[in-house]
Amino acid sequence: MSVDMPDSLDRYSRQVRFPALGEAGQLKLLASRVTICGCGALGTVLTNHLVRAGVGRVRLVDRDFIETHNLQRQILFDEQDVADNLPKAEAAARKLRLINSAVTIEPVVTDIDHTNILDLVGDADLILDGTDNFETRYLINDAAVKLGKPWIFGGVIGSEGQTMTIVPGKTPCIRCLIEDSPPPGMTPTCETAGVLGPAVAVIASFEAIEAIKLLSGARDALNTELIMVDVWDWTFRRLKVAGLLGKVDCPCCQRRRFEWLDGTLGSHTTTLCGRNAVQVATRRPEPLNFAELALRLAPLGEVRQNAFMLRFGTEGYEFTVFPDGRAIIKGTNDIAKARTLYAQFVGS
Amino acid sequence: MAVVRIPTPLRPHSGGHDRIEAQGATVGEVLGRVGETYPALRERIFDGGDLRRFVNVYVNNEDIRYLDDLKTAVGEEDEVSIIPAVAGG
Repeated sequence: MSVDMPDSLDRYSRQVRFPALGEAGQLKLLASRVTICGCGALGTVLTNHLVRAGVGRVRLVDRDFIETHNLQRQILFDEQDVADNLPKAEAAARKLRLINSAVTIEPVVTDIDHTNILDLVGDADLILDGTDNFETRYLINDAAVKLGKPWIFGGVIGSEGQTMTIVPGKTPCIRCLIEDSPPPGMTPTCETAGVLGPAVAVIASFEAIEAIKLLSGARDALNTELIMVDVWDWTFRRLKVAGLLGKVDCPCCQRRRFEWLDGTLGSHTTTLCGRNAVQVATRRPEPLNFAELALRLAPLGEVRQNAFMLRFGTEGYEFTVFPDGRAIIKGTNDIAKARTLYAQFVGS
Repeated sequence: MAVVRIPTPLRPHSGGHDRIEAQGATVGEVLGRVGETYPALRERIFDGGDLRRFVNVYVNNEDIRYLDDLKTAVGEEDEVSIIPAVAGG
């Protein structure tokens, strides 16, 4: 350690020596508070970086338990966590406390929805996207714009990913960029198209470095573009999106209609008592394309369909999906699990 | 001729091509030509005469919504990119 660095900063000495961060930046990191929404592939890499870097308070929110097929890319988990049937947020918190006991880690095992998101992000300096679906991203976006808080978007599929830093009032928001989420079945999910661990790690690392800049006060160094990376064919693109701010008639950041936050848009999920099934009712402006959905699901399990419903079985669950986007998922009574399955196999 | 870059998820509908050359003076004309050859691709990009709301189109690295939308001029050397939303993580 250098002679003039306080002992408490010693563990961060290698990043403190990076001039653009410095001791002043490190002290700001230590005093910062973030909420990480989702603790899967993106979330574990993100939180690993931020806890090691000394972000003072980290709230980790996730609705899921760990499964063996998560271990390929969700870097904070191991086989024992699967055997112990631990929720992701809790297992991650246990690892992270061993990594840096100076950071306050608050695991929250819950399904983020319009009723709880303001409580989960209200005290955060920054919100980070570790989710795997657009429904939660639109909720985060509504909450962030309403509260005037920055958030960082990240999404990955296969070998490619996107990220964008959203500072309300200064950059376009996610609904300026993508006004409506793709209807279920129209775009691939990690379950249907696969995903590579290193691709997720690249995007999560970009989110983490943006978080470090933002929290340490280096706002001039923030990304103002939509970054796109494909780690398989080595493409890296920076798409100019700044011009969208104020140019598109954004329902969220221009008209300040928070349709996801007020529950106008989004899913309404209920257990079907005594049936070991959950109904996921997603409100959609246009009907589902069954042919498209069947094409994606066919490699993963048996698909049967008629004009009124599509039925699909995989991993011990049976999905019955209706044209309006509603689905009944048999094989679970757990709402959070059902929403996860819906996002994974039908799409968000 | 301008080149249209096709993102991975749409390549099953473009005969596997990641780049397609097409004639046209505007984004609308160029994408129209591509859509004539690959109707299934057109279906995924357009809803009637408008772009679908989860698909964005860029000329080089500029979003056409702050240019002239589908009327945005396209030169011989320009690249038109279809950028879909990426959901996973």
